[in-house]
Amino acid sequence: MANTIIGSSIVIDGEISGDEDLVIQGTVKGKIQLKESLFVEGSGVVEADIETQNVEVAGRVTGNILASDKVELKSDCRVVGDIKSPRILIADGASFKGNVDMDVKER
Amino acid sequence: MAIPKESPVVGENTVIGPSILISGRLTGDEDLTVRGRVEGELSLSRTLIVETSGVVKANVTVRNAIVSGVVVGNITASESVELTRDGRMVGDIRAPRVIIVDGASFRGRVDMGEAEPGRTAAERPIARPVARPAVPGRTLPALPARAPATTARTVTPLRAPTPPPAPARPGSKPLPPPPPAGRTAPPATPPAPPVVAAGAKKKVVVRKATKGR
Repeated sequence: MANTIIGSSIVIDGEISGDEDLVIQGTVKGKIQLKESLFVEGSGVVEADIETQNVEVAGRVTGNILASDKVELKSDCRVVGDIKSPRILIADGASFKGNVDMDVKER
Repeated sequence: MAIPKESPVVGENTVIGPSILISGRLTGDEDLTVRGRVEGELSLSRTLIVETSGVVKANVTVRNAIVSGVVVGNITASESVELTRDGRMVGDIRAPRVIIVDGASFRGRVDMGEAEPGRTAAERPIARPVARPAVPGRTLPALPARAPATTARTVTPLRAPTPPPAPARPGSKPLPPPPPAGRTAPPATPPAPPVVAAGAKKKVVVRKATKGR
């Protein structure tokens, strides 16, 4: 209900920050900073550095991801960039290029 | 990506939640509901809804805008702009249809253009007659009022009772001395100058009032 949704035809060029879940179906370029979860859906395109608690990617992400809890790359996603998070899940079918760092210990 | 423009699914509208801040440029082809903050530039080919918790500090280009929250910046709408009861806006509005509801707060210019003269003509006369008669109606009586004041001597005897309180007050004493000093006139006239001055002051106040309205 309180979720923020960036619809499929929306293009944001700039910074997004907030304390709630964010669902991206459109395009975001720049920077994303959240205290909750980020969902990049199948139609979503993110060209941004991401800093959140959880990230779930089913679409495309280009940029570095820093998650304090978990990063999940679903099948059919395409991710280019470094991921830094204590828990990283990469599903079968996901495409990923970059460094993985799970060394970040619990918050 | 842009194909699902006309998707009737209401749930897919873009929503910017109350704790979200977007700064930068936002463009799109679908309805956008803002409950949080958007700063920068915002252009949509459809409707922007700024809800009561929403704050938009941006130059906005949309088809329709419905403002229940706060907008600081200019809005250019190809169809309509509506400020609802809770809407607050500072900036210029440019749209063929502009609706400002009672309770809304707005500071800025409105330009409805010249398109659709039938509509705008119907809306404008409502606002103007209120302002126009008020100005000429009060300036006209003000003119005759000045004339007797300049030919004041006949009028002053009538107002003569008013000056006595002036000498009674200690604070007003500095005022009476100058007139006798400057004019060194007959004893009957000294009371007159303060009266004229008082009348002049009153008239100035009246003019200010008319200008203010």
